[in-house]
Amino acid sequence: MTREPRAVVLKGVRKRFGDVTAVADVDLEIRPGELMVLVGPSGCGKSTLLRLIAGLEEHDAGEVWIGDRCVDEVAPGSRDVAMVFQSYALYPHMTVAENLGFGLRVRGAGPAEIGRRVSEVAEVLGLGGLLSRRPGQLSGGQQQRVALGRAMVRDPGVFLFDEPLSNLDAALRLQTRDEIAALHRRLGTTMIFVTHDQVEALSLGQRVAVMDRGRVQQLGTPHEIYRRPANLFVAAFVGSPPMNRLRLARDGEGRLAGGPFVFPGSSPHPEATLGVRPEDLTVAVVAPPASGPPPGSAGTRPGPHPSPEFTATALRVESLGSEQRIHLDGPDDAAWVARAPSALRIAAGDRVDVSVAWQRTHLFGPDGSRTGAAPQPGRGSHPGTPA
Amino acid sequence: MSGAGATNAAGAAGVTPLVATGAAAAATAVILLVAADALSGAREQATREEARAAASLYEVPGVTEADVVSLLDGRARIVAPEAGGSGPGAFAYRAGALQPAAWIAVEPADEGNGWPWAAFVLALLGVLCMAAWAAARRRAPPPSRYPAAATLLCAALFALVAAAAQQWAHGELGAVSSARLARGLRAAGIAGAAGADPEAAARVAGLPWASGAALGEPDRIWTMPREAGEAIAADPQLRSAPRYTVVAGGATYHGGAVALREGPAGRAETPAGTLHLVFLGYEETSSPTVALIASAIGSALVVSLVLFLLPLAARPRALARTLAAWGFLAPAAALLLVFTFGPLLFSLWISLHDWRLVDPAHPFVGLENYRALLSDGGWWSAILNTGVFTLHVPAAMAVALALALLTRESRRAVRWARLALFLPSVTSVVAIAVVWKWLLNDGYGLANRALGAIGIGPVAWLTSPDVALVSLMVIGVWMVVGYQMVVFQAGLAAIPRVWYDAAKVDGAGPWQRFRHITLPGLRHTLFFVLVTSVIGSFQVFSLVYVMTEGGPLGATDVAVYHIYREAWEFLRFGNAAAMSWILFGVVFAATWLHFRLLERRGAHA
Repeated sequence: MTREPRAVVLKGVRKRFGDVTAVADVDLEIRPGELMVLVGPSGCGKSTLLRLIAGLEEHDAGEVWIGDRCVDEVAPGSRDVAMVFQSYALYPHMTVAENLGFGLRVRGAGPAEIGRRVSEVAEVLGLGGLLSRRPGQLSGGQQQRVALGRAMVRDPGVFLFDEPLSNLDAALRLQTRDEIAALHRRLGTTMIFVTHDQVEALSLGQRVAVMDRGRVQQLGTPHEIYRRPANLFVAAFVGSPPMNRLRLARDGEGRLAGGPFVFPGSSPHPEATLGVRPEDLTVAVVAPPASGPPPGSAGTRPGPHPSPEFTATALRVESLGSEQRIHLDGPDDAAWVARAPSALRIAAGDRVDVSVAWQRTHLFGPDGSRTGAAPQPGRGSHPGTPA
Repeated sequence: MSGAGATNAAGAAGVTPLVATGAAAAATAVILLVAADALSGAREQATREEARAAASLYEVPGVTEADVVSLLDGRARIVAPEAGGSGPGAFAYRAGALQPAAWIAVEPADEGNGWPWAAFVLALLGVLCMAAWAAARRRAPPPSRYPAAATLLCAALFALVAAAAQQWAHGELGAVSSARLARGLRAAGIAGAAGADPEAAARVAGLPWASGAALGEPDRIWTMPREAGEAIAADPQLRSAPRYTVVAGGATYHGGAVALREGPAGRAETPAGTLHLVFLGYEETSSPTVALIASAIGSALVVSLVLFLLPLAARPRALARTLAAWGFLAPAAALLLVFTFGPLLFSLWISLHDWRLVDPAHPFVGLENYRALLSDGGWWSAILNTGVFTLHVPAAMAVALALALLTRESRRAVRWARLALFLPSVTSVVAIAVVWKWLLNDGYGLANRALGAIGIGPVAWLTSPDVALVSLMVIGVWMVVGYQMVVFQAGLAAIPRVWYDAAKVDGAGPWQRFRHITLPGLRHTLFFVLVTSVIGSFQVFSLVYVMTEGGPLGATDVAVYHIYREAWEFLRFGNAAAMSWILFGVVFAATWLHFRLLERRGAHA
C-alpha cells in the first residue's frame, strides 16, 4: 500500500507570532523516504516548523515544497501529509473505525473502500478487536495506535509526528519507538518526527536536526551530532549527563589555559571552551598516604596511572546498575560528571585521579562553534598538576 | 438507664425507645393543639359575628336594648361608644349617623369543654404503649430495625390521632355553627317582630345567605348557593323544619326558617312571611384538615430524623459531622420545603377541589377539574399556542450558534457586539415588552413607519390573529439569543483546537469540520440550552401580559397566561391549579423525552 515517498524542502522559511520569531529562515531538505527528527528544547520552533509543513500555520517568508510542488497555497488536506498529534486528537464521539475512516470519508471515498482500508490498517496495528469502541474506552497506548492508524489509512507521502510518545509511560514509549522505526522500515515513507527527548531523537532518526531559537543548529546523523557537535548548544543539549565544560583563556605566552591544563601552541582566540563527555573521563581512586592495599584496585586502571591529568574529590556517586556516575569538583571547581564501570569501588569523599581521552574532546571558539579536538596539554608546568 | 453514659454505645442505643416515646408524646400534643386552636379560632369568629349581629339589631328601629341583651342570653353589654373598641364587640350606628351610637361588648360563649378528649386518650394510649415497651427493654439495646419500625408506628399513631382530632373538631365546629345559626335566626325574628322587612331582617341575622323567595332561585336579598337551595327545596321536611343541617355539593350548610310578619305591599314574594337563612358551617370554613395533615407529616419527619440520628450519639465525631451537614443544609431545605414543595403540594390539593375565591366552600371533586379540562377548547388552544411559540427556540439557537461562531475572535468590536447582543438577557422583560409594543404599534410604530418609507403598507404586528404570535416569537428570539450565544461561546471554547487541526490534515473542509467536530463537541451545550429554553418558553407570561393580553382573538393566549386569567380574573383556583399541573406534566414529559433521546445517541467521554 506504499507509494513513492516524497521529499520535503524548506527554503528560507520564517514564521513570527507577534514579536516572537518562532522559525527564523530555516533551510532544510528531508530526502524521500527519510526519517528526520527535529529535536530541541521547548520553544525552539520545532513544532511550529512541523505545523508549517502540515499547513496548519502559514509562514511569513520562504517556501515549503512537498515532492515536486510548492504547497504554500495548498490546504492541509491536499498536501499529501498525515499528522500524529501529541494528544492524539482522536474524535471522541466517533468509534475507532470511524476515526480511522474519517479522512477517507471526507474525501468522498465509498463505504466499501473505507471498510477495506480501515481493516487493513487495523490488522497491521493490531486494532481489530477495538474497531467499535470509542477513544474514551481505550488505553493511552491503544489511542496512540489509533492515531497512527488514522495517519496510515490515507497512505500519505509524508508522515508528521508531533511528540507522539510524550504522553506514554516509559515502557510503552520504548516499545512504540521501536514500532515506529519498524513501520518506517516497512513503509519506506518520508517521516518527520518532532521530539524534545534527545535519546528518542538519536535512537530513531536517520538524520537529526537540532533546533534552538528558531534555527537549525546542526543537521547530521546521530553519530555526527553526538561525536562532532557543531557548537556549544548542541554539545550541551545532546548527551546525558551533558558534556563537561571548562572555560579557557589565553595566557601570557598565547597559549590557552584553564584549571590544570595548558594547551600547547598559540591560540587565535582569546578564550575558548573545553568540552569533555563524561565517558571520556577515566577515574581511579588515589591510594591513601597510609599503608594498606590501594582501595581503587578494582578500577579501570589498577596500579599507577599512566597519565592522571588532575585529582579531584568525588562529591556524589550515582549507581545506575550498569555504570556509575561520579560527580566531581572538576578543574577550577567546575562541576564535572564522569562515567565509570559499576565495578569501581568508590564512595563520596574519595580523592580520585582523573585522566582525559584528549582525542575525543572538543574545543569551542568564543562564538560557540567547534574548532576541533583539544590537543594533549603540557604537563608539570602548572601549579594545579598533581605531583 | 443508670450508668448509661453518652459514650456508652449500648447505653446510648438503649435510650432510643425512651427518646422516641418523648418525641411521639410531643408530636401528638402538637397535633391536638392544632385541632384545639382551629376550634378556638372558629369560636372567636363566631363571637365577632354575634357582636355584629347584635349591633345590627340595635340599629333596627323599634328594637329595645333589652332585646339586644336578650339575643345573646345576657352576654352582651351596651356601653357608650367612648368606652368601647377593645375586646370582642362591635359599634352600632343609628340611621344616618356617622358617629357610633353605642359599643356592644360581647362575652365569649362558654360552650363545650374545648378539648379533643377522644384523640387525647388515643394519643395517651399510644405513647404509654411505647413507654411501656421502652421500660420493659430498659437494659437491652433495641433491635437494629427499631428506627424504621418506630417511625412507621409513630406515623400510624399520628394519622390516627389527627383523624380523631379532625372528627372531634368537625363535631365541635358543627355545634358552634348550630349555635351561631340559632342566634342569627333569633336576631332575624326579633328584627321581624320589630317591623323590619325581610331584607333588613336577613342583614341583622348576619348570616351570609338568606332566601326570602322560592328556594333554589336567585333572590334579590342574597343568593343562596344553587346546590344548597335545591337540596332544601327538594325536601319538604327540611323546608318545614325550624332548623336543619344539609350537605350539598360536598359542603355542610346550616339553615333554618324564621317567621316574619306579613311584608308590606309589593313584597308578596315572601311566602307566608317566612325567611330562610342558610350559611356554610364553620366545619367547612374553619376546618383544621390541612393543618392537621401538615402537622402529622411534619411530626413523622421530625420523629424519623431523631430516631435515625440517635444511634450516632455514641459516636460524637460522626454526630457532630452529621449535625453540621444538616445544619448547613437546613436553611436551603427549609426554604425549599416552605416555598417550593409546600406550595406545589398545596396546588395539587387545590386542583382536587372545586376552589373558587368567591366561594367559601371548597368541596372535594377528585379529578373532575382535570376531566373538565380534557374538553376545554380554550385551554388546549392555549397549549397549542404555547407549542407554536416554543418553535422560536430552535430558530433562536441557530441564530445564537451562528453569532457565537462569528464572534469567536476576541477583538474590540466583537466584544462590543457581544455586549449589545447580551443586553436583552439582563433587561426587565416588562421594559422590553413596553418598548416593542411601541415599536410595533399599528399607527405610529417605528416598524410600520420604516416599512412605509420604502413603500410597504402597514403590518398589523400585534393586532392581527395571523401575525401576533409570530411577532412575539421574533421578539422571543431577540430576547434569548444573547444568552444562548454566550453559553455557546463557552461550549466552543471547550472544544480542543487540536481536533480542528487533525480534521484539517484529514482533509475536512469548513462545513465538514462544523458538522463533525463543532456540532458533536457542542452536543451537551446544545442540549442544556434546548432544555432550559424550552422550559422558559413554556413559561412565557410577561411578554404576552404586557403586549397582547392573549389577544387578538386568543391568538397569543399561552398556557401560563391562560392559567393566570383562570385564577385571577375568573377566580377559579381549582381549574387553574389543574391546568398548572397539566402544564407541569407537559414540561416534564418534554424534558424527559430530551434526556431519553440524548441517552439513546450514546454517551461519550
